[in-house]
Amino acid sequence: MQADLRQQQLELFSEVTLKIHQSLQLADILQTTVTEVQRILQADRVLIYHLLPDGTGKTISEAVLPGHPVLMDLEFPEEVFPQEHHHLYAQGRVRAIANVHDPAFGLADCLVEFVKQFGVKAKLIVPILRPPTIPFVGGSTANRHLWGLLIAHHCQSERQWLPCELEFMQQLTTPLTMALDQAQRLEHLKATVKARTQQLQETNRNLQQEIAIRRQAEEALRQSEAQLRLMINALPVLIAYVDNQQRYRFNNRAYQDWLGQSPEVTYGQHLQQVWGQEYYRRMQPRIEAALAGQFVTYEEEIGRHEGGLRLVEFSYIPHWDDHQTVQGFFELAKDISACKAGERLKDELISLISHELRTPLTALHSALKILATGRMGNLSADGQKLVAIADQSTDRLLRLVNNVLDLQRIESGAFTINPQVCSTATLIRQAAEVMQPMAQHHGVTLVSQTEEIAIWVDADGIMQTLTNLLSNAIKFSPHGGVVWLTATLLRPSEPLKHQPRHSPAFSSTATTEPVVVFRIRDSGPGIPPDQRERIFERFHQVDVLSARKQRGSGLGLAICRKIVEQHNGKIWVESAPGGGSIFSFTVPIPINTGLN
Amino acid sequence: MMSGKRVLVIDDEKAIQTVIQFGIKLTSGWQVLIASSGAEGIQTAQTEKPDVILLDVRLPDMDGTDIVKALQAHAATKDIPVIFLTAQAQTIEKPQLSDLGVRGMILKPFNSLHLPEQISRILHWSMGGCK
Repeated sequence: MQADLRQQQLELFSEVTLKIHQSLQLADILQTTVTEVQRILQADRVLIYHLLPDGTGKTISEAVLPGHPVLMDLEFPEEVFPQEHHHLYAQGRVRAIANVHDPAFGLADCLVEFVKQFGVKAKLIVPILRPPTIPFVGGSTANRHLWGLLIAHHCQSERQWLPCELEFMQQLTTPLTMALDQAQRLEHLKATVKARTQQLQETNRNLQQEIAIRRQAEEALRQSEAQLRLMINALPVLIAYVDNQQRYRFNNRAYQDWLGQSPEVTYGQHLQQVWGQEYYRRMQPRIEAALAGQFVTYEEEIGRHEGGLRLVEFSYIPHWDDHQTVQGFFELAKDISACKAGERLKDELISLISHELRTPLTALHSALKILATGRMGNLSADGQKLVAIADQSTDRLLRLVNNVLDLQRIESGAFTINPQVCSTATLIRQAAEVMQPMAQHHGVTLVSQTEEIAIWVDADGIMQTLTNLLSNAIKFSPHGGVVWLTATLLRPSEPLKHQPRHSPAFSSTATTEPVVVFRIRDSGPGIPPDQRERIFERFHQVDVLSARKQRGSGLGLAICRKIVEQHNGKIWVESAPGGGSIFSFTVPIPINTGLN
Repeated sequence: MMSGKRVLVIDDEKAIQTVIQFGIKLTSGWQVLIASSGAEGIQTAQTEKPDVILLDVRLPDMDGTDIVKALQAHAATKDIPVIFLTAQAQTIEKPQLSDLGVRGMILKPFNSLHLPEQISRILHWSMGGCK
């Protein structure tokens, strides 16, 4: 019997081990074990009781002969398995109970009652110990806990369990523990895989989201870039970027019309290659200036690829990086041929009209002046009034024509000054003489004062400037007012009594060379500070109530400025202390007069 | 103001001729001779030998500079001072005038009552200028 049992035991061993290797299903392994143990031991029931963490337990595998109650899935209350038993089993105790009712076996009453209801008379119990927790740290038995029990029941009668049967049961727990270990690892692996899968899924979701956001941003960027490109390409001006190696890094569509090659071809090409040797030679100093950090604007006649010269205005705008290094420049180029032609036409037209006006105006002007003398016969009082009106209107018309012509002449570059040595005293006397009748007519007193200083000026130009400024001063002064005209020498060391506002250039001129300052002071309403620069622009008139009563072409001060600038002088206006305005301008003195 | 001068005006515009005539006569009592074309002007200059010629730069038949050259080429007229009447100051700059032998320039529009004074100043018949 014993040898037989040993043989069967060996067979079961290998079967269970094989099963463990073949199957990862713990339930299968356990079921095989209980079935085989029941068969070998000829017990009425063999079961595996699994201890749950809350102290209760449950049959998870059972092999039972027909006619006996089935305990599978039955839960056992905590009381049937007291703590001290639990502890002893955890220590590795095995029990072979021949008769459950025999007090010598010391079974708890409640357990006896409990097993009795299932007809159990004898039982054999071996502990199944939990494999070390994974990951296994250290290897002491303290980490080993009771996982469950392998129990054989005998119900027909009491049974004296043989030591070899006990040993057989005990030995079987080793592969069971192995199976549990394997199951636990599997569970752990599954849990790890599940967690990792979840993690991966989460990461994947985040990635998908990120990709979607990025794709949206890219699409938005592409759209805005396309829009920008569309705009830049649609503009009728040449827009490009040139790097510091003088190579094109961007050209808009307009270049294609001009160069006859697409921007793709132009990309990366050197400016010399694109524009040719001749144009490049002319552009080169400007290109170098732009790459040195200067803002450059110039006009150049450039040929288009299909032929024909066009006047082009180029602007180079340097591009600085964060380290204040010039990385390249932006090129803007505009065909201004049409503008130039228009400007020329306008100049010619103004000139023509003005000239054609002059001859009839001369006749009209002179005829009225002659009539006004009264020597052609006496006119009635009303007739004289009408002649006076015609005379004044003709004067205005003449001034306007003269101003338009003067300005056109100056702006077209045809005006050049013819400086010679003149005396401030002579100029001031002449100007005062010319303006005296007008001053008298307006009831304004004209006061002039100067030393005899030699200046280097165009006498006609300075006379025109003085009479123009005096005419304004008289016009804007009230009846009974005073207009002062003075000229003083200003040596480099002397600061100006009234420093001009907004003209830093003047102060630098004033400190290097002696100049003469002409001043015309009126007792008029003055000029608001915000208009003091603008009144020297064309067609600008001071927008004050009293000025509306005074008619002018709005060109006089613009002409004065041009004339003064031709003398390398400055012109400006300030408020006179106590009201009124002071118009001042500077003119140079002759070199080698002993003053400098 | 000097008296007894004879001024030849060469201008094709009747209105200008008239106002110059009235203006000069009223203020100076000078005698005014009129010619309406370049050819007529040269002819009158040779026969009348005026003290000064006021010459319109743009005449239908001849250019002002050509008339000046013609006058200078003739012994009878080569010393008669010529003053240009012009509306186009910028086409003739002052240095060019002296090269031509023209003594001065009076710009249109002018007041014909002031002509004797202007002529006198240009020809230094009385003092003028700023020197």
